[in-house]
Amino acid sequence: MNEWEAVIGLEIHAELNTKSKLFSAAPNRFGDEPNTNISEVCTGQPGALPVLNKEAVRKAVQFGSAINGQVCKFSKFDRKSYFYPDSPRNFQITQYDEPIIKGGTIIAEVEGKEHSFAVNRVHLEDDAGMLKHFPAFAGVDYNRAGVPLIEIVSEPCMHSAQEAVAYAQAVKAILEYIDASDCNMEEGSLRFDVNISVRPKGDKTLWTKIEIKNLNSFNYLALAVESEIKRQIKEYTQNSNKPHQEVISQATYRWDVENKETVLMRRKEQADDYRYFPEPDLPPIILTDAYIDEIRKSLPELPLQRERRYVTALGLPAHTAFTLTYDKPIADYFEAALKYTKNAKALSNWIVTEFTGRFKETGKTLVTSGIPAAHVGELINMIDEGTITGKIAKSVADEMVANPGKDPQAIVDSNPDFKPLSDSGEIEKMVNQVLAENPQSIIDYKAGRDKAFAFLVGQIMKMTRGKASPQLVNDLLKAKINALK
Amino acid sequence: MNTDIHNLTAIEITQKISEGHLSAEDVVKHYLQRIEKHNPALGAFLRTCSDKAFEQAKKIDAKRQRKEKLGRLAGVPIAFKDNIHIFGELSTCASKFLTNFKAPFNSTVADLLEAEDAIFIGKTNMDEFAMGSSTENSALQRTCNPWDLKCTPGGSSGGSAAAVAAHLTCLALGSDTGGSIRQPASFCGVVGYKPTYGRVSRYGLVAYGSSLDQIGPFGKTVRDAAHVMSIMGAPCDRDSTSLSDPAQDYTSGLRQDLKGIKIGVPWAFLEDLAPEAKKAFNDGIERMKGLGAQIVEIDLSILKYSIATYYIIATAEASTNLARFDGVRYGVRSPHAKNLDEVYELSKEEGFGDEVKRRILLGTFVLSSGYQDAYYKKAQKMRTLIIQKYNEAFKKCDLIATPTSPFDAFETGSIKDPLQMYLEDIYTISLNLAGLPGISIPNGLSAKGKPLGIQLTGPQRGDATVFACAHAFETVSPKLIAPMVIS
Repeated sequence: MNEWEAVIGLEIHAELNTKSKLFSAAPNRFGDEPNTNISEVCTGQPGALPVLNKEAVRKAVQFGSAINGQVCKFSKFDRKSYFYPDSPRNFQITQYDEPIIKGGTIIAEVEGKEHSFAVNRVHLEDDAGMLKHFPAFAGVDYNRAGVPLIEIVSEPCMHSAQEAVAYAQAVKAILEYIDASDCNMEEGSLRFDVNISVRPKGDKTLWTKIEIKNLNSFNYLALAVESEIKRQIKEYTQNSNKPHQEVISQATYRWDVENKETVLMRRKEQADDYRYFPEPDLPPIILTDAYIDEIRKSLPELPLQRERRYVTALGLPAHTAFTLTYDKPIADYFEAALKYTKNAKALSNWIVTEFTGRFKETGKTLVTSGIPAAHVGELINMIDEGTITGKIAKSVADEMVANPGKDPQAIVDSNPDFKPLSDSGEIEKMVNQVLAENPQSIIDYKAGRDKAFAFLVGQIMKMTRGKASPQLVNDLLKAKINALK
Repeated sequence: MNTDIHNLTAIEITQKISEGHLSAEDVVKHYLQRIEKHNPALGAFLRTCSDKAFEQAKKIDAKRQRKEKLGRLAGVPIAFKDNIHIFGELSTCASKFLTNFKAPFNSTVADLLEAEDAIFIGKTNMDEFAMGSSTENSALQRTCNPWDLKCTPGGSSGGSAAAVAAHLTCLALGSDTGGSIRQPASFCGVVGYKPTYGRVSRYGLVAYGSSLDQIGPFGKTVRDAAHVMSIMGAPCDRDSTSLSDPAQDYTSGLRQDLKGIKIGVPWAFLEDLAPEAKKAFNDGIERMKGLGAQIVEIDLSILKYSIATYYIIATAEASTNLARFDGVRYGVRSPHAKNLDEVYELSKEEGFGDEVKRRILLGTFVLSSGYQDAYYKKAQKMRTLIIQKYNEAFKKCDLIATPTSPFDAFETGSIKDPLQMYLEDIYTISLNLAGLPGISIPNGLSAKGKPLGIQLTGPQRGDATVFACAHAFETVSPKLIAPMVIS
């Protein structure tokens, strides 16, 4: 494995959340009855003509600006010909050689460090309809036909599944921050195609790449990349007597979820000649400096900016800050909860570790759980104010997850076990008892063994069933034990 | 008087209707009777829209009764080439593929004309998908030239031209991609106009060559054509190639003379004209001089490349415009198809005629990998040179004059070689490449008694100048009326 290096590039298709489609006035909406969000344009009726959606151009430029790409003042559309029932005109309107955005950078966190990834280009194109298969026939639903897409093409600059996922998450975050796409991978508004090749470490040439299409989750993306890297390395090592060009041939694969492997869809020799030529029904897109400037200046806070703000203004560690900010819903949730407590560090920890862990197997997230952000903020406050101990707080969190909407104070009030023991008198009694029961520990402690002190603290905490404040126990025990001879 | 209705111009009809001398219903009845009598022999109309026509007529007559303001085309019957949509009516494009296809929306031109109370009298025959120069490529029926039934009316808008020439309609619309309005106008002895590219909306026109197509009017007079253009030539927000220039009244500037006007003639390019055509053209030029025009020589030798350039660009665009006819969503699907590939292959095999197939194949070829640079890209570069040459020419003149066609109407079936047919368009085709406005005006008769035409070409957006000068030329040119109309 260590002698090989993977070279990975991602093509991400994001459906823009405009009101209407890219070239037609039909509504851009998911989930409605088939063939209801259609017009003469997006069903390719003879005599219909495309008219460019200005909102789509705006969102594409916003994205290009957000990644510091070059917004091209001149770009144009082309016809890409191929026959398939989900294509209403049997040609897609896309941007072939003069896209609206060139270049750009995506910064993501990989293994705790900031990593820069290069984007090659971003262009606009229209989506195809959807085929639905029935026992006796296939039907086509054109609701999705004509929906605006931006295709974000990276340079082949990733070298691991980790990097690929980090890049993809960063792209998703940016799209959500500028509100350009729903980024709903289950509904298909965000799709990944990945190109992978491997080569011996140190080799500067690119070996044959294959394409895996239509991965619709970060998990599948990671699995598919890892599986494919292994497969290619195996092919090369098992055929080391052959020249490498003959071992792997260009092809397109899909990810088989059941069998957890990449499956061949078609070989590249049968590739289509798309016969691209400029779209005669649409004039080129011509953007002014003023337009581009206005968009750049009005960009909202972007994920990386937010991450840096969390680090400098809130003192969060970089990894926590990235984890929060590169998932917009959770970052928004965090900031909503921050209205109820000043302890950003503790809050971030609880969100990123404690609560996230509790939702891991449920299929929900903290954001979708129904637990109001205010409650989480309150919980942190209660810990800080000493109303509950950290240990109790974990139990309270369990309750909150089991009964979303029940606020922490109410949970504590209704459960005597959750009331911390802060009556020093009570604790003193227990301290005395423990000291009385453990004379050897006192001797050990006096002899300089700190472990004995910790043991005694532990015994007292056990007796209080975790309800006593550790600090209080410590103080009281120290006072008592020092007073003893 | 009833017998004269079909001899009235559009403007005369609107006048008589607004003055109460004529009802719209009278007009419709009259024209429908004429169509019933003469169309079987002529084949100009594919079908009439009698229900719709009477409905429109009733509305207009009711408006008149209520003394409401009438539209600028009130009561005037206008025929539509069968590739221009009237909502709810068939648009077959004269193809077997679309024999069952009803227009799912109104074209912009239909909206504009209907708003001015025009009456849609029927749909006319054409070359299939507008590909042809004789209307012989129609998959549905044959159209004859009213001047000589053995001859073609020209194409691809032959039905519309014949209908106007035979006075079966007052006005008609055609589409012009390489001369498909102007050439049949010349063959049939009527006025035919192609606007500056983008002047008339293509929304609702079944696309053939997207960067070349324009809808335009046929009329008995220049004034009638100018009148229709004043209504149809307007910005359209459903056509991204539509000009944003506001609509213009082209009837207000019509000239009686050509004093101060420079007419450019590419004499070198006309050298190979047959003697009869040359004489008719020269006579026309003399009449222009008589009106005070100055004749200037211009160089358009580059036009010898225009046919090749056109047939590469037009077919490339057409190969993609016609890709949607695949039997999946609309049109006629082959009853023999058993799987997807057969739906595609058999529907197209059975649905398209030979010329359409020829052009789709050619267009696909010139765009294909390995050939695109040598053919499509080269043709686009040549197109730019043609535009530049025209720009240079228009520095020296206001309008350019040529014959519309090298010949008068030829006999049906006499041209069998497709390439020879393509050469018919030698004088008209470059206007579409350069997006220029052009008109064909009747220019006398050939020795065989068939019409000849002269074409006036203007610079881009020079539509007003073209009409203005064409009108002057018309006043000193013989008025052509087909014998079948007089008898």
